[in-house]
Amino acid sequence: MNMIPLALEGAWKVLAAGLVLGAGLPIIYAFAVRGLAMAQGAGAIIGEKTAKPFGKVIWWGLLLVILLAVSYGIAFIVATGVGKAVTFDHIIPWFVDKPKK
Amino acid sequence: MATPCGQPHHERVTTATIILALVVVVALAFDFTNGFHDTGNAMAASIATGALSPKGAVTLAAILNLVGGLLSVEVALTVSNAVVNIQDSKGLPKPELMANGGTMLLLIVFGGLIGGIIWNLATWLLGLPSSSSHALLGGLVGGTIGALGFAGVKWAGDGTKLDGVIGKVLLPSLLSPVIAMIIAAVATRVIFMVTARIEDKFREKRFRWGQVGAASMVSLAHGTNDAQKTMGVITLALVAGGSISSTAVYVPFWVKLSAASAIALGTYLGGWRIIHTMGKGLVDISSPQGLAADGSSATVILASSQLGFALSTTHVATGSIMGSGIGRKGATVRWSVAGRMVAAWAITFPAAAVVGAIMYWIAAGLGGLVGPLVVFAILCGFSWYMWKRSRHNVIDHSNVTDDWHDGTKPEVAVAAHDIIDPHHELDEAQPARPTAH
Repeated sequence: MNMIPLALEGAWKVLAAGLVLGAGLPIIYAFAVRGLAMAQGAGAIIGEKTAKPFGKVIWWGLLLVILLAVSYGIAFIVATGVGKAVTFDHIIPWFVDKPKK
Repeated sequence: MATPCGQPHHERVTTATIILALVVVVALAFDFTNGFHDTGNAMAASIATGALSPKGAVTLAAILNLVGGLLSVEVALTVSNAVVNIQDSKGLPKPELMANGGTMLLLIVFGGLIGGIIWNLATWLLGLPSSSSHALLGGLVGGTIGALGFAGVKWAGDGTKLDGVIGKVLLPSLLSPVIAMIIAAVATRVIFMVTARIEDKFREKRFRWGQVGAASMVSLAHGTNDAQKTMGVITLALVAGGSISSTAVYVPFWVKLSAASAIALGTYLGGWRIIHTMGKGLVDISSPQGLAADGSSATVILASSQLGFALSTTHVATGSIMGSGIGRKGATVRWSVAGRMVAAWAITFPAAAVVGAIMYWIAAGLGGLVGPLVVFAILCGFSWYMWKRSRHNVIDHSNVTDDWHDGTKPEVAVAAHDIIDPHHELDEAQPARPTAH
């Protein structure tokens, strides 16, 4: 039964990708929300009275990062649907024809 | 097996054509159940936290499933190859199954699909999220066992890659919920640390936006993955029935359109019973947890399809929701509900296989056109019965977000709760409860 190591190898990769993107993006979003809360101040942060407008910059900046990552995700779904695969050969992810089996 | 060998040629053709038509109808019906069975995977968390209204959520999910389904330009024609030996590597049916206008192959697929539908309906009635892919593959394995015996089943492939029942069904179903759970738990824990000083109301509201985005990704990915399976099965049937040349297999546009539409319609119908269990039964979910859960589901599903790791959307989504409960300090995780759910996962594959095999035997045993028609009638009768039973305790968009039954709340899904979570205290008066279990 040499399939268990194979499965664990696949699982490990999925876990790693999931932790970076699946946990990473929501956590970035949490920082973004914290920025937005700073910008509002009273009523958003416990015990905070003053608003720090700089928070808006954090909010929009991080949101942009997330949107870029998400559009990559959508591009990935679309690419897979039309028979493309994603390659990381050139560091920047790019789409190529799916290798024929 | 009764075969129409003695019949004149044109009669044989007609019989095979009618069986083919039945297979296509049943395949679309399966796709439809696949839709409503899995609405909760993408939308349960958003509905539970109020990020989307129940109707809004199913509408969004339906549209994204339709888009996802239609995006599947290059369809996997070899869906059955993971678990059974009825196709070759190009998606062509095995020649030995092509006798009598492909009747044997058609009946295998027919029995398999019906096994999948019946299991999907039974688990829906009980409000249990179980894997539609496992139901389909289990059904196909059952149909194949019925026709070819155990030798027709690919249990472990050749051992060089993840293949067969063990590699494509068993191992992923053990691993994927745990992976999703870990990711969602980590995300939830860190999110609550980062936002510890933020007022609850502010946090809840802002996180709903993110949650809707993540849920949409899950829906889109679901449409591309699951509608494809039906497209592959219908195409296999068309090749077997001789409607598509066996030298140049392609997926006709009407197959894509009808499969994408069937899954979208099913999604729009909303599997409210399952959404209720996933959204309210496992953990009491807040919107940061919802984002963590949906973010985890979306990436695990996408990363897996990139890495060729087969898994079930349902297992991933359920694992994620559990993880979002584990990751939050002081959150209630209803392990008893989870336990019953896992039990349902474990029996999905064999149960669908048993039904698939029985349906094949009935269809092939009676033979001709009578066999498939009898099986089709059984399916219709069974579906009607399930639907009738579901009317005893209706869960729909109006009460799907009611709290999980704890003995004081209005009766929602008492029967379903009773089966998947029998240790709950139940109200004394339960007029809505069905008489028989």
